[in-house]
Amino acid sequence: MSTTILLGPQRFTTTVGATVRSLGVTGRIAMVNSGWEERESDDGELAGHLDGRGVNLRLHHRMMDVLTKDQHFAAAAVAFRDRMDELRAFYGIRLQAAIDAVHAVSHRTSIHAVGPIAEESAMEAVREVDRWYAAELDELYGSVRATAPLDESGTIGWHRGEIGALLAECEAVVIAGGNVRTLLRTLRVFDVTFGPEQSVVAWSAGAMALTDEVVLFHDFTPHGVDAAELHDRGVGRLPGIVALPHAKRRLLLDDHERMSVLARRFAEHRLLLLDDGAVVRFPDGATELPAGARFIDRTGHVSVVGVA
Amino acid sequence: MERLAVNRLRERLPLDGPTIDRFVGRYGCPIIEGERATFLYRGDVDEVWVRHRVVGLPDPLPLKRIGESDLWAVTTVLPEGSRVEYQIEIRKGEHYERFNDPLNPRLAHSPMGSSSVCAAIGYRVPEWVAHDPEARPGTLVEEQVHSKALRRDQPVQIYLPARFNRAQRYPLLVVHDGTDYLQFAAMKTVLDNLIHRLDVDPLVAVFVPPRDRLKEYPNHAPHARFIARELVPLLTERLPLVDTPEARCLMGSSFGGIASLSTAVRYPGFFGSLMLQSASLVFTDIGFDHGGGPAFDPVVKFVNRFREKPSAVVDRLFMSCGVYEPLITPNRSMVPVFRHAGMTVRYTESRDGHNWENWRDRLGDGLAWLFPGPQKFVYE
Repeated sequence: MSTTILLGPQRFTTTVGATVRSLGVTGRIAMVNSGWEERESDDGELAGHLDGRGVNLRLHHRMMDVLTKDQHFAAAAVAFRDRMDELRAFYGIRLQAAIDAVHAVSHRTSIHAVGPIAEESAMEAVREVDRWYAAELDELYGSVRATAPLDESGTIGWHRGEIGALLAECEAVVIAGGNVRTLLRTLRVFDVTFGPEQSVVAWSAGAMALTDEVVLFHDFTPHGVDAAELHDRGVGRLPGIVALPHAKRRLLLDDHERMSVLARRFAEHRLLLLDDGAVVRFPDGATELPAGARFIDRTGHVSVVGVA
Repeated sequence: MERLAVNRLRERLPLDGPTIDRFVGRYGCPIIEGERATFLYRGDVDEVWVRHRVVGLPDPLPLKRIGESDLWAVTTVLPEGSRVEYQIEIRKGEHYERFNDPLNPRLAHSPMGSSSVCAAIGYRVPEWVAHDPEARPGTLVEEQVHSKALRRDQPVQIYLPARFNRAQRYPLLVVHDGTDYLQFAAMKTVLDNLIHRLDVDPLVAVFVPPRDRLKEYPNHAPHARFIARELVPLLTERLPLVDTPEARCLMGSSFGGIASLSTAVRYPGFFGSLMLQSASLVFTDIGFDHGGGPAFDPVVKFVNRFREKPSAVVDRLFMSCGVYEPLITPNRSMVPVFRHAGMTVRYTESRDGHNWENWRDRLGDGLAWLFPGPQKFVYE
């Protein structure tokens, strides 16, 4: 079975080369960096870390090609994005209000033991907002599949064929960071799947894309919705994990109350911290967090798997 | 606290020319020491003043001659983070003259000319003001829009963000005093940088200059009709804009703030947000003696009427004002009025005056609040 490795951000602490070498891969390595968008072709440094064996799947470039050549798909894509933006706007309003309610309830003095019940109920309201968003998003995907089936696009089909052929020649795949929305969209449109023997090394947005629930977060963002937001489903190679790249830079990790709300909200997931230098290995198809992985526990503190 | 440099100099009287030269050369002007600013002037004159418009400080602020020398000085308090625009005025016999501080190379520019700048300790020009070679530039397109409302062709400049793509949809920002915002607040560079830094969503901005500002900006029906019924529909038809109120914002400073607010009042619900910078929100609680001169008459009428019947004409309102400008009190007073009307208001103050660099420095906060960028989507 294949190995999956999630890394910390690669901008300042570059470990992807050593990590790929540790896999003993001798053949070609597929590169997915569509999250870089128009900088996708500036892949020289990444290819260098892969000893020149990297093959760029050029998913962003292919997406631009599809949008240019397939007017039916392009129109459907615009309509989908507009509807998704609207859905996200309403989700953001509801979510922020629900999260604010959790904090307000938790700060209220409780003399007669109503507080904990009220807080759990408020948390459930947050989860309900998340469920509503996920259901609406599913419906949206369903409607776009009905109006513009990806399988019927000749251009997409052609690219899928070429991507499949390229991937079949590769022993491993690396998935870089960038814009996670763009990355997910390209993976979905081109139906990029990885073979059972292909190891995958991913970081930042790439790591998020491998999970089943992609959660957007930035506690230091100056404005907008400051609560973490469910965004979309990932490719699901690592179910049960919410990947949190740049955690130290993007999360108020010392605000244990806030972190606890985040952990309890996604109670069925492990909130995995991926800071600079992190290397988290999932060998032989494993999906459980390995010993040494850092995560946010239900109390809102950073814990390490295997350390009591 | 260490003694001020100018006081140490005074201990060395009498002063000769080379000593003064070395002093000025070493310290420059104004001399910032903690929260004190010392202004200097050198010349054979009878009187010297610092002319500024800082509410709370004497204006003119007289300088005193140091001993029998030709060096004049005055020290004033200048709290951390302050930024003051000023000029020097001199009297020689019956002759008065006013000019920028010859000992201070730092200037600010405006439609009225230039001024010297005194930046206190802690003031920094935001880093997103300077050209960033990494930031892809947007483009400015000049157009003439025929307006039936204004009965003329109105020039506008349309900003299209970098990577402008017709398959995307963009919010729209309408900028009053558009040419001045571009020229004196570096707004194109600011937009390029803020969008590049993911602080601000890519947006389309239309920069609209006035022709007769004092007539068109204080609650003028043809101007409002031009913006809401001609310009915005035209741009919405021609450009890939998000066609909802939430994605439409009016902004302006001073009288331009009144133009923005009054347009929103005339077309309530059509715009989702406003950005008012040092808006001329002058009002009276009794009588009509507002002290602003005839130009403010229509402003005061409009603001008084709004205060009588406040309404939520937009959802969100960003307001900024300098604490050193006379408009600080009316701006502060209007914040609760807007909030009670049901608008979400973000209000910020700065230790600055009624000038373009103050408005420039607040663009980051205002635009990022009104058009939050896609930071949450990017994990490099």
